[in-house]
Amino acid sequence: MIRSIARFLPFVALLVLIPFLLPGGRLGSYYLTLLILSLSYAVAALGLTVLLGYSGQISLAQAAFFGIGAYTFSVLAVNHHVGYWSAALAAVVVTTGFGLFLGAISLRLASHYLALVTIGFQIITELVLNNWNAMTGGADGISNIPRPSLFGYAINSDHGFYFISVAVLVLASYVVFRLRHSRLGGALFALREDEIAASANGISLFRTKVLAFAVSAALAAMGGILYASGSLYISPNVFNFYQSVSFFAMALVGGQASIVGTTLGAGLITFLPEVLRFLHAYYIAVYGVLVVVVVLFMPEGLYGLLLRGVGAVTTLVLGRREDGRDEVAYLKSDAVPERPVASDRPLLEIRDLAKHFGGIKAVNGVSLTVNRGDVAVLIGPNGSGKTTVLNVLSGIYTATAGSIVYDGKEITNLGPTRINRLGISRTFQNIRLFPELTALENVAVGHYRRGTVGLAGALLSRPRGYREEREAMEKARETLHFLGFVRLDVKAKNLPYGQQRIVEIARAIVSGPELLLLDEPAAGMNHEETEVLSQILYRIHALGVTMLLIEHDMSFVSSVATRAYVMDFGQKISEGSVKQVLSDPAVMKAYLGDDVEYA
Amino acid sequence: MIGKLLGGAGMIALLCGAGVAHAASGTIEIGMIADLTGPAALSGQHKVDGAKLAVDEINAHGGIAGKKIKLIVEDDRGQNQAGVSAYQKLAANQNIVAIIGSIRSTIVQATLPYVARYKIPTMIGGTDPKLTHVGNQWVFRFRPNDTYASATMAQYAVKTMGSKNVAVLYDTDAFGAAGNALLKVALVKNGAKVVSDQGYTTATRDYTSFLEKVKSSGADTLATYMTNSEDEAQMLKQLRQLGLKVKIIGSTSIATSVCIQLAGPAVDDTYGVSDFVADGNDAAKAFTKRYVAKYNSQPDVFGGWVYDAMNVLSRVIAKDGTAPAAIQKGIRAVKGYHGVEGTYTFDTNGDGLHGYWVVKIKHRKVIPIKYVG
Amino acid sequence: MFSEFIQLTIAGLAVGSIYALIALGFVLIYTSVNVVNFAQGDFAMIGAYFMVSLVVVLHLPWWLALVLAVVATGLVGALFQLLIFQPVRNRPRNFLPVMIATVGASVFLEQAFLLIYGPIPYQLPPIFKADSVAVFGVHVYPQYIVIIVVTAAMVALLNWFLERTKLGKQLQATAQDPDTARLMGIRVAWMAALTFAISTALGGLAGLLIAPVYTVTATMGSSIALKAFAAAIVGGFGSMKGAIVGGLGIGLIETYGATYISGSYRDAFPFIVLILFLIFRPYGLFGEKVSQKV
Repeated sequence: MIRSIARFLPFVALLVLIPFLLPGGRLGSYYLTLLILSLSYAVAALGLTVLLGYSGQISLAQAAFFGIGAYTFSVLAVNHHVGYWSAALAAVVVTTGFGLFLGAISLRLASHYLALVTIGFQIITELVLNNWNAMTGGADGISNIPRPSLFGYAINSDHGFYFISVAVLVLASYVVFRLRHSRLGGALFALREDEIAASANGISLFRTKVLAFAVSAALAAMGGILYASGSLYISPNVFNFYQSVSFFAMALVGGQASIVGTTLGAGLITFLPEVLRFLHAYYIAVYGVLVVVVVLFMPEGLYGLLLRGVGAVTTLVLGRREDGRDEVAYLKSDAVPERPVASDRPLLEIRDLAKHFGGIKAVNGVSLTVNRGDVAVLIGPNGSGKTTVLNVLSGIYTATAGSIVYDGKEITNLGPTRINRLGISRTFQNIRLFPELTALENVAVGHYRRGTVGLAGALLSRPRGYREEREAMEKARETLHFLGFVRLDVKAKNLPYGQQRIVEIARAIVSGPELLLLDEPAAGMNHEETEVLSQILYRIHALGVTMLLIEHDMSFVSSVATRAYVMDFGQKISEGSVKQVLSDPAVMKAYLGDDVEYA
Repeated sequence: MIGKLLGGAGMIALLCGAGVAHAASGTIEIGMIADLTGPAALSGQHKVDGAKLAVDEINAHGGIAGKKIKLIVEDDRGQNQAGVSAYQKLAANQNIVAIIGSIRSTIVQATLPYVARYKIPTMIGGTDPKLTHVGNQWVFRFRPNDTYASATMAQYAVKTMGSKNVAVLYDTDAFGAAGNALLKVALVKNGAKVVSDQGYTTATRDYTSFLEKVKSSGADTLATYMTNSEDEAQMLKQLRQLGLKVKIIGSTSIATSVCIQLAGPAVDDTYGVSDFVADGNDAAKAFTKRYVAKYNSQPDVFGGWVYDAMNVLSRVIAKDGTAPAAIQKGIRAVKGYHGVEGTYTFDTNGDGLHGYWVVKIKHRKVIPIKYVG
Repeated sequence: MFSEFIQLTIAGLAVGSIYALIALGFVLIYTSVNVVNFAQGDFAMIGAYFMVSLVVVLHLPWWLALVLAVVATGLVGALFQLLIFQPVRNRPRNFLPVMIATVGASVFLEQAFLLIYGPIPYQLPPIFKADSVAVFGVHVYPQYIVIIVVTAAMVALLNWFLERTKLGKQLQATAQDPDTARLMGIRVAWMAALTFAISTALGGLAGLLIAPVYTVTATMGSSIALKAFAAAIVGGFGSMKGAIVGGLGIGLIETYGATYISGSYRDAFPFIVLILFLIFRPYGLFGEKVSQKV
């Protein structure tokens, strides 16, 4: 951790040094004003690093939050003579409130809807700031905004205020940094990558989205206060849609999820029009082209490109370190682990479950019981409703009728997050890993429900938070090794299919669930991979985990399952041991149809 | 890590390269910020044209005490921040003795702290009365402020046009909102009733809803405080289409060439107040003639006030020298200077003009009626 | 009072028709290539400027100019998708980058046309010379009627094209399942280009229809577009019927709101309606709830 923060030190040192490198006099003052401006923008843009970069939420309302922060502060400090720091705190609180609101209404919205709601919020805010004369002073703006004083010393000079701004930027960066490495950071990334998988791993989508918006708004407010105090005058026409686009561009140039990148992006976007003054009227057009080019062809932003370039040069000069960990060593063992005998104590009871999609009765009255220690398998022809049963079980669909009882408690229609927290994990038919996260990071997210430290804890660097984060990483490492997987630092999207499946299973068991649901784990695997999978399931079973899986591969099923249920057309048509159901004529009929003669 | 250091240092090096001031003796440098780009780029162009006309004329007559004027223009993009950095960039040039500032009150307000800090005589065209009443001794206004405009409008409407029930339509930006507040007070003071008071957002395209409300308010007169000539023209056209029969008196934008060109016959038989009138006085007539000859288009207020500012400045410098304090004192001492916009007599606040023309627009021409001030 | 209401309604329907045309363009692109084009409104601006060049500069008869302007706008739209969309067409999760890229493209287009045509608004003469016609005390501006009628005709034409022609059916097929369409021999890349072309042409038509009323400026498109987008969502974002009803509805609400509630907040009304819908009825009026396959 100290090492990670050390990464930022040279950059902070540079920021502190800059004023001393500037020319003196009025020219230096010109640059200093622009630098102060860049810092205030950077703080606000860091909000987008969290909102857009980490949690993947598109917001074009950042200028609105920036403005609400600036105005709340200025109105309190100038019109109502509230003390500087109290006004600042109030401004952050008020703006965060609006962030909570926007986050709350964004819950059910997909990207373009969300983008438009944020645009709507932006436009409404602009109009209110401009027209609510009694509160904001209207279009004329607010002048004579104060500068801060610390311990009785007034900091009025631009130099002094510059250092205060740097301090605020460092603070903001710290907040974002801590957030990223905390358990909540994992939740934000999960939200960005795959909402369904995120909620299946115990992450509350609602609370995470609201959190992201709230943090983003708070940072925007901090930036707004710096802007107001820096410029000494604000008027509503500053906080408009184009400013939001500008913040967006800053985050994009920096590569969205990079703290340093966003800060550099803010500097670049602020200085660019100044540097391009010679272009006169063309600079806005250049700006637009820049956004297009960066977004389409440089998803890591200019900063990411710069880093890559530096990396390439370093490799050229210093040579590449050999990475000898390319082989996947599946722990093959001839010894079959001792597997528990199935007990009689029911863990999961499904009674008369029904799920209808309009006129389609996907599940039409299914009852089955899974006992502790079972490895139960659900088989049946395509379209028989197996996955639907699993989806209702894991809370993704609501049941039309029937009940599900887990460990004696009724869990029908609890959402996926609650179900996960009760100790039920699952994998998906179409593997749902978080593509941009590494294998290790993916599995660490699976440990989410075990954590307790929230936002305050993460930011305040409580020891317990650090402990939990370390624990999550260690458990993730352990679990992956347990399953024989060693390529921890490869991004999930770069793993071959079979290995992805293993990582997904690791993610599902890292938190120590009692019940593991697997939807066609062997799908798309060849014989060797299926062998490895069986080994993995044996080992998991030996840990005492009860499993319910859906499968088609009959030999695989025969080797792992202790009990089988067969479904057809939404109903259960047979149950028993695997051997029993496979010789059941009803089952054969379901698979093969009526016209076959049965031996 | 290295990359960040290199990148940061590189950026600084690049920026220090830009913005080196050139020293040149034998010239007097005057700075100006203008909307070269942005929504008001057209008016910015007129501003530059007016200033250049003055500079060329003065230089042709030997300059100021033998020294030629060099005009340095920076783009304020019509934005607060860009205006501030443009101003600062000019101020960083130690050779610049005075700066012609903006016509927009928000940009002026954003630059005021720097005007005070650098103590550079700054000429402004914004008409928000506040701008010269905040105790800043370095600001000089070369247009009559809105207290005079609203007073003139109200007085003329009530006393001469016979307005009793007035509907007011204003732009909700800084200019329109401030003007509206003053206008309402002035109307009531003159004995009229304000039966409708509506604000619209700049660049509104559809005035139907506003005009319907004006109609149903029973007003006999519509008084407008609209910032953009384009908006004024649009509103007038729709007013005629809806068949509204009201007397019309507007703020300065109604008498601009852009408004007249866009509105066509819709602007006929309207009244307005204007500080710049091409036929208003001898100076204006001469200016118009020379402007048309040089640029082949009609001048307007955007070029007019700057022309005056440049001429006043050159007179003051010729008499008192280039020291800022001397220029400051010199401008304040100007009394009775006959400029394009009127006769300048500066008061202690820095306001040089104190009255407006009432004009009538007829057959697409601006006809001065009387000067109130 | 009543005549005032009629006048407002006509104005509202007229501006609503413009929103509807642009909203249709949004929906077309979205349903076929799953991309949101934030520059949609700027094609209205392009169409209007082309019309200006054709009518005011070249003095072509208005009906010829209209057809040429609309076609030209469509061609620009096809070029636009070639530059913005084609390079990232097959990248997974391209939704966000494309959307942001269209924002950047929008800024660029506005500036480019501002530089080409200059900042003074252009006057486009209305199709019928009459300034306004008084009908029972109601002053009707003929251009409003033209807008409403042409929009209705355009919607009918589009519907016929999509439902009754082979090309239209191919377009629909590509929208629903590009991979299968490709297997059927349909040139998917061409379909995308065609969709953009039609969609932007609709936008251009909207622009040149409203231009005689609003005058032509470089920024005329962006404010219209955002409201049209809101209208598309209120109507139900995959539905053409929704785009039309939403557009007309938003136009009326905006006009009534500005008159009866507050003129200063006129621009806020479409978004307030949008937010309310998104809170209480996210799928809009006619949208379908599409479940994700898990």
